[in-house]
Amino acid sequence: MSRWRIIGFALLCVVCIGGALAYVATASDPSDKAAGVSTGNDSPTVVASDEQVRTMLTAPHVVYRDTDVGSAFGKVAIVGLDDLGSPAITDLSCERVDYSAGRGICLTADRGAVTTYGATIFDQDMHTVTTMDLPGLPSRTRVSADGKHAAMTTFVFGDSYAATTFSTRTQLLDLATGASLGDLEQFTASKDGETIDSVDRNYWGVTFGPGELFYATLSTGGHRYLVKGDLETRTVEVVTDDVECPSLSPDGTRIAFKKRHTGPLGQIEWQLSVLDLKTLEVHPLAETTSVDDQAEWLDDDTVLYGLPRGDVSSPTNDVWSVPADGSGAPVLLLPGAWSPSVGQR
Amino acid sequence: MRVMYTPVRNRPGDLGGKPLELTGWRRIDPNVTMLGLTSMFTDLASEMVTSILPLYLTLTFGFSLVQFGAFDGLYQGMAALTGLWAALFADRRRRYKEVAVAGYGLSAVSRLGLILARSWAPVVGLLYVDRLGKGVRTAPRDALISLSSTRARLAESFGLHRAMDTAGAVAGPIVASLLLSQNPTGYRSVFVCSFFASCIGLGVLVFFVQNRRGEPDPGAESSTRVSIRTALALLADRRFTAVLAVAVVLGLVVPGDSLIYLTYAKQTDLAPGFFPLLFAGASIGFLLLAVPLGRLADRVGRARVFVAGQVMLFGVFALLGAGLGGLAPLLLMLLLYGGFYAATDGIIAAMASSVLPRHLRTTGLAILGTSVAVAHLLSAIGWGAIWQVWGIDAATRAFMAGLLVSIVVGIVLLRPGGHTTSSAEPASAGRP
Repeated sequence: MSRWRIIGFALLCVVCIGGALAYVATASDPSDKAAGVSTGNDSPTVVASDEQVRTMLTAPHVVYRDTDVGSAFGKVAIVGLDDLGSPAITDLSCERVDYSAGRGICLTADRGAVTTYGATIFDQDMHTVTTMDLPGLPSRTRVSADGKHAAMTTFVFGDSYAATTFSTRTQLLDLATGASLGDLEQFTASKDGETIDSVDRNYWGVTFGPGELFYATLSTGGHRYLVKGDLETRTVEVVTDDVECPSLSPDGTRIAFKKRHTGPLGQIEWQLSVLDLKTLEVHPLAETTSVDDQAEWLDDDTVLYGLPRGDVSSPTNDVWSVPADGSGAPVLLLPGAWSPSVGQR
Repeated sequence: MRVMYTPVRNRPGDLGGKPLELTGWRRIDPNVTMLGLTSMFTDLASEMVTSILPLYLTLTFGFSLVQFGAFDGLYQGMAALTGLWAALFADRRRRYKEVAVAGYGLSAVSRLGLILARSWAPVVGLLYVDRLGKGVRTAPRDALISLSSTRARLAESFGLHRAMDTAGAVAGPIVASLLLSQNPTGYRSVFVCSFFASCIGLGVLVFFVQNRRGEPDPGAESSTRVSIRTALALLADRRFTAVLAVAVVLGLVVPGDSLIYLTYAKQTDLAPGFFPLLFAGASIGFLLLAVPLGRLADRVGRARVFVAGQVMLFGVFALLGAGLGGLAPLLLMLLLYGGFYAATDGIIAAMASSVLPRHLRTTGLAILGTSVAVAHLLSAIGWGAIWQVWGIDAATRAFMAGLLVSIVVGIVLLRPGGHTTSSAEPASAGRP
């Protein structure tokens, strides 16, 4: 090993280690972040009081996950539908959240040497009622309008080293007692009266109707069916094909969903669309960007959905709204928000 | 990270690139150690990124995992073909180091790209560039390890390299999660650190690894031409095809880490969040046993250790089939699984190197690597299919039966006294 090699390598190490340390130091320095955004521990976000939370939840509101980089990142926020500019931040940190009629559910990720996932059931003051472990990455969650039931979909990996192998698991909960109602894969599935018993069944994206009714996506044999389910009889039945992440309109007549198609580079993309449950007709909405989200209805005429804000290194998402009849154009409704949940419409 | 094995360095004289007398005992050529360091830093960099990818792509980017797998097969096939072509080039020009530098360099460049990428399409493209780099570098690197070792220390050299490589792979996810626990949205910090780590790995290779252009095998002057035709003629070489057959048959009954852990989790109700710990446990077993088992293989015969490794895998399947929960069976399973890797992974490379003519060593190793990768793919598909149709117990039983066949094939094709187990003649008698 000649001297220049050792000097050259030493220089390389100084540059590399120095560069890495310098980057990590500045990246975790709050003062480096965008001005005007409350950041770091120096300026803690004011957390809404119980009374404030309760008042806001009884008026027309949206509950969502704050995704603006800052100390409120990942926290659940509430905003009044009449004053979208003044959100209240809560203590809950969630990857995905839904709330209705005094009960909410919050899917959490606890990052560490082993990242673990969980679910928190919370009440009308956004206080924790109970928590449980989840088997994988949080994906979707929904609470029924009456606050009695909840569904949670998670991605379950073969392992983190083979990112291409995964399946979904969808669990149902009785929110009154916190008891599990089991895994959707335990339900009896049928299509045209015949039982589907193949083992490749995967469910995701539950949406609740009145009473024991729910809809979800059932993936099996290369199809992604819309299924209509009954919590009482523990059955699901295929309604139609090619519907992912359904979301039932408040009046119960239509389903907003993401319709799969293949993009120019062979990648999978989704067109936000609406299905009429009576005629089974599908029409696309005005959003042309691929939407990978379970939509939410603002009212019977408007659909909400989340989109990432462009830059892949940014964890920030925005919530957009678009007319449900396919007309008009997308409008940015809540910047820096994800997982919207509309209440007291 | 603790380096498990430090070669004794009491060599006389300076190191200025001159040939070394390999007279000392326990001497591992510094080239092997340096290649080990290169792999350690590169694997550290690579596993840092791999371990956070699902979280990064789905939670912060809204990326669906389905998209990730869309064109996977095609890209993997392209990477394998490019790897074979690069191996042929390395052999023809005897530029093992340069081709390895190109492979490691591609991976480093892909990290730089990840830092700069602004949308998901380049991210996916860059992940494939990384894979391409891996496809290109593996065979010339293993050829260089074999050309830097005496035949009597071949398996130990590969063992040392694999141990260092695995040390990096274990440390990667730990470093990544430490960085993320500092700053939960700091994915870019992970990419930046990963890029610099791969630069250090590349630096070790560029500055400290010497190319070894071993002389042609004695009495083989007439047949040292490197071409696709002579490469294909390797498949008519009985000694090489014996190793190839044994490796492929074994590959067909190794379903892969993820399926093994998934089966264990199903059998014992373990949360999938603990999969990285299972991976780390087996890797530590691999890391600790790779050098001792390599040394043992050099002494008692590589085929014996190789067959013993398959018996260890049989033990893993048996424990999986029994579905025992609890810490003791789990630790035993991870130890056996790590031992299986230690007794087979580097040993296969050593066995192949010892029967491959020097002028076609990279190409032969690339053919071996590609064939084993295809076997693993078929194996994973087979395990999944049996699991779906007949259940999880059927899958473990079928693979246990397959493994018994593999053990018999190994014993028959690698009979003691056969060429592949000989440790008499040096692997690289002519040094530069």
